[in-house]
Amino acid sequence: MTFLEWFRADRLPHIYCTGCGNGTVINCTLSAVDELGWDPDRCVFISGIGCSSRAPGYIITDSLHTTHGRALAFATGVKMADPTLHVVVFTGDGDLAAIGGNHFIHACRRNIDLTVVCMNNQIYGMTGGQGSPTTPVGGISTTTPYGSAEPAFDLCALAVAAGANYVTRWTTYHVKELTKAVHAGLTHPGLSFIEVFVQCPTNYGRRNRFKQVSDQIEFLKTHSMIRQKAERIRGEGGQVKDGTIEIGEFVKRSRPAMGVVK
Amino acid sequence: MKLVIDEGRCKGCNLCTMVCPYRIFQPGTILNRRGIVVPVLDRPERCTNCRLQKLHGRTLCGMCQMICPDQAVRWDEERLFERHRMAIEF
Repeated sequence: MTFLEWFRADRLPHIYCTGCGNGTVINCTLSAVDELGWDPDRCVFISGIGCSSRAPGYIITDSLHTTHGRALAFATGVKMADPTLHVVVFTGDGDLAAIGGNHFIHACRRNIDLTVVCMNNQIYGMTGGQGSPTTPVGGISTTTPYGSAEPAFDLCALAVAAGANYVTRWTTYHVKELTKAVHAGLTHPGLSFIEVFVQCPTNYGRRNRFKQVSDQIEFLKTHSMIRQKAERIRGEGGQVKDGTIEIGEFVKRSRPAMGVVK
Repeated sequence: MKLVIDEGRCKGCNLCTMVCPYRIFQPGTILNRRGIVVPVLDRPERCTNCRLQKLHGRTLCGMCQMICPDQAVRWDEERLFERHRMAIEF
């Protein structure tokens, strides 16, 4: 069985724009799930509202498409009702960081055995390109036409501080590493948070001087740096350039987790 | 095995042209029936996965398939006695 068999073939091609990275993230997640050989009847994919949250509709397993920002609350309920289920949450930055921020920190604090895949496209893509909490400083969107003035949310640091057991960040360029990270997250007990920087050519790329989809992937490739390397540079007294995306594993620990079958 | 781009799914983002280490995927020039410029395959028999997938029993490189946001790249089983092309590179 390959990951392509986890898709509902009759639903494809999906609704995402040309070059949208969400499809890549679904590929990587399903590939990791497929490697583990889980039974599709024992997996649940849960999502909120947004571009990213349309993902479970294309997957053969059971899914929940819930209210805006409350995907984690619903996922907690599913996991508590039947801890033997494998629960994966697909969520976006607007869903997780903006409206669902409190659900996120408390899910991290409770350390429920979920895997949260956050597709961070740095903008509200579905509603027309408004600035989101993760829009980088200077990023142009419809609500920040002169460039965003606010610092962006660092979701991984938030998850580490709130107490998630496994936190990692990758981009859509790093597909192999992302697959491995999702695999590790699915097998690690406790809340696993995987943040993925995703390109949004329609609403972010075209306003921020990325004419082609490949330009934005090239940006993700050249502006990302492994976290350990960034820390080494800082330790030696150097400076990491502003706007560098720090990728890699942030934390892997074993705090007591909720909903783990003994 | 042979490399196939599913024209019904491809949306023409050309991400595969960027990641393929052999540059098998090349940006296309012709609009298809759905109004999309699908990448063309330049000597797909060079693909390692086509040749060695069966031997190793796993997907070898697969970057194009993983990065394709539209799940349009796949490897199909060849028919019996299908004509083959050979590519020898120096």
